[in-house]
Amino acid sequence: MARPMGAVRLKKTNPLTLAVGAALCIFILYFLLGSSTPDFSASRKASAASHPLSPPTSPFRKSTGGGKLKPPPVTRYNLNNVTITPKPLENRENILILTPMARFYPEYWDNILRLEYPHELITLGFILPKTKEGNDATRELQKQIAKTQKSGPEKDRFKSIIILREDIDAPLISQDESERHKLKNQKVRRAAMAKARNSLLFSTLGPSTSWILWLDADVVETPPTIIQDLARHDQAIIAPNCFQRFWNSDKKEMDERPYDFNNWQDSDTALEMAKRMGPDEILLEGYSEMATYRTLMAYLFKEDGLLHEELPLDGVGGAALLVKADVHRDGAMFPAFPFYHLIETEGFAKMAKRLGWQPVGLPNYKVGYPPPSGQRY
Amino acid sequence: MLPFSSPGSKVTPRHHVGGYPNGYPRGKTFHISPHRYQPRGTVPAYRRRTHSLVRLAALAAFLFLVTLISWSRGSSILSVFSLGLVSGPGDFELETVRYHDLSNVQGTARGWEREERILLCVPLRDAEAHLPMFFSHLRNLTYPHHLIDVAFLVSDSTDNTLEVLVKNMEDIQAAEEEAMHFGEVSIIEKDFGQTVNQDVESRHGFAAQAGRRKLMARARNWLLSAALRPYHSWVYWRDVDVETAPFTILEDLMRHNKDVIVPNVWRPLPEWLGGEQPYDLNSWQESDTALQLADTLDEDAVIVEGYAEYATYRPHLAYLRDPYGDPDMEMELDGVGGVSILAKAKVFRYGVHFPAFSFEKHAETEGFGKMARKMDFSVIGLPHYTIWHAYEPSEDDIKHMEQMKREQLAREQAEKEKAEKAKKLKESFGDATGQWEQDKTAMQNIAVQEKKKGAAAAAAAAVSKDKAGARAAAGKVEELGGQNERLEAKT
Repeated sequence: MARPMGAVRLKKTNPLTLAVGAALCIFILYFLLGSSTPDFSASRKASAASHPLSPPTSPFRKSTGGGKLKPPPVTRYNLNNVTITPKPLENRENILILTPMARFYPEYWDNILRLEYPHELITLGFILPKTKEGNDATRELQKQIAKTQKSGPEKDRFKSIIILREDIDAPLISQDESERHKLKNQKVRRAAMAKARNSLLFSTLGPSTSWILWLDADVVETPPTIIQDLARHDQAIIAPNCFQRFWNSDKKEMDERPYDFNNWQDSDTALEMAKRMGPDEILLEGYSEMATYRTLMAYLFKEDGLLHEELPLDGVGGAALLVKADVHRDGAMFPAFPFYHLIETEGFAKMAKRLGWQPVGLPNYKVGYPPPSGQRY
Repeated sequence: MLPFSSPGSKVTPRHHVGGYPNGYPRGKTFHISPHRYQPRGTVPAYRRRTHSLVRLAALAAFLFLVTLISWSRGSSILSVFSLGLVSGPGDFELETVRYHDLSNVQGTARGWEREERILLCVPLRDAEAHLPMFFSHLRNLTYPHHLIDVAFLVSDSTDNTLEVLVKNMEDIQAAEEEAMHFGEVSIIEKDFGQTVNQDVESRHGFAAQAGRRKLMARARNWLLSAALRPYHSWVYWRDVDVETAPFTILEDLMRHNKDVIVPNVWRPLPEWLGGEQPYDLNSWQESDTALQLADTLDEDAVIVEGYAEYATYRPHLAYLRDPYGDPDMEMELDGVGGVSILAKAKVFRYGVHFPAFSFEKHAETEGFGKMARKMDFSVIGLPHYTIWHAYEPSEDDIKHMEQMKREQLAREQAEKEKAEKAKKLKESFGDATGQWEQDKTAMQNIAVQEKKKGAAAAAAAAVSKDKAGARAAAGKVEELGGQNERLEAKT
């Protein structure tokens, strides 16, 4: 039988015990709540996929209930209803920001966080090489992602994030800027780059994506409204003008210089050169050995020019590029082989043109690169 | 229950018989504190303190909980109360970050052992009639179903393709048998506003080919770009109108461990057309003639195989088939057909796709083969491993079949007529015998009557009448014989 215990026993209880008990209860409650992951709003939960096997452009529901996973449901996607309009904000269009990354710049992440487009409509995709540098960058990137997605304020959190590691046998070229840009290394480097871009694109592009913003890992300065500003033009492919900040030792102050020479209009000279080339040769821009006399958008910037002036282009660079998802869905990709003697982003522009899409540039709309390594901001 | 524990009996002591009402046992039990008498009137100070402390603590706890509830959104507070042990079906966390190492999904010869995932892509258009056949193939695939992700693209369909598709797929996913369930199932709708007719003649007519192939290419690219995931090692393209294929086709093709591989595609034919025929002429090796031809054409031209307009003299996979040949024999190809393509997913990830423009004078699957070769991927065909496409008669075949049908009808008509004539003949004979009998009885009656009249002269008259009747019958038979001869001449 139970030991005789009556209500009278309470009388003898030490008040200290009670206080300690209450404190412990509060502590446990606090601990339980504090340890559980922060929640997302209902609207975000509603748009999540119900199974881990789902388009990576949406988050999925990770069941905490345990037990056996049900077979994935039959999911219908009507691509006729995916709008791509000059007003992406009003139509709540999904954006996919894609970045091939070899080095992590904290400024890149800060810049992304400053974007004014609703983060719950933005999916980020990264591809990093499987090298020592790539491992370091991945670690840094994951640290920042964890900070934003787990403990950051909800408005900062992105819809979903995909991190890919390359399967490309990376050509042994140093990421050192001077080495990287040498002419003889360019074809191999850019073919590998094209494969990385395509891998990233075709494994992340989801059925609900409307726009794709290609943004290089070293673009650290864009207007926070870049998505809305570029989409406003309603162009299939649109490229802003890229500049690099540097320490101008002549003027003894920070200065800017044109950086991306892959945004160009074709010239007769270049077309003639292409005709004389062997089938596997490529034309490259920005090398004195190969003067093409193309019209380069980088040099067309005017301080007093109209911000939204458009310029039709024949070749584009990948530093910052807003592309309608339909262009990529039709098959326009970054050729890793000489395509009309062009490769990677320039080949992409050509392929898009073959499919009937015209690339356009904005010479007076600027995005910024960091200063060359060794120089400080 | 025991009677003294009933709520009515207040006097009955609650405690065990051995104890006292104030809870302090006595007698044999050991105790330290003595049982002292306490005056009842005043509450001791320490007890007052305890009471107020308890009240304070309760209030604090209550306030704390209220703030907690007001802070927390959603279900987290519930999980605190249930201590996380009980969780309903709606209980989940959102996972927003995915990490994939693409070097783990390269595709190997024995993918089923390494749990390699396949994306099965099926482009569809007005294909309702073929779906039952297709789903029987799908159910019978021997590759582990949970490793197969199925993606359909339904475009510009006017029949019930979509409804039938959804119904069939949902049935499979809800099947009792777990081995039946597939992985991710996506049904994608996209209309391209195709004006080209899907009937056999306009589909295979020469003039429509280039435009049709480019539209098909777009549909394929849309399907792939929406369905390819970072965890896929293989991509398998399959047309819905394949009639016969081995259930082990995925493993059979995978074993070769090639970047792009296609089987030979033939189709069965009616007996009068020879029984079978090569179907897919898009799998070929490049020839010098074709390369020279390509140089003469303008930028947007598309060479299509199997038409007299473009004589390319290329070696075709289809024509090299030997029904008794080694099914594992390989042949290098430059262009491939799209009926059944197994490719490593990295081929598509690296950017090879179905050109919807003229790529080196080719589009769609043939351009796909060319582009894969351009990126140094291996493109292989198996000449003696054959799958069978459903037979859809062409316009000529239909004409021929109509002709055959007419002939058969004529034959049947003739036979029917013959049978009718024979019947008539028999009937006529029957009539004749009937008449004969009638005449006979009539004559007999007459004879009897005559007999009744009873005269020798009358008997002689009866004999002469009999003879006349016999003559009449013979005439009838002769006439019928003539008819019979005419009938034979006709047939």
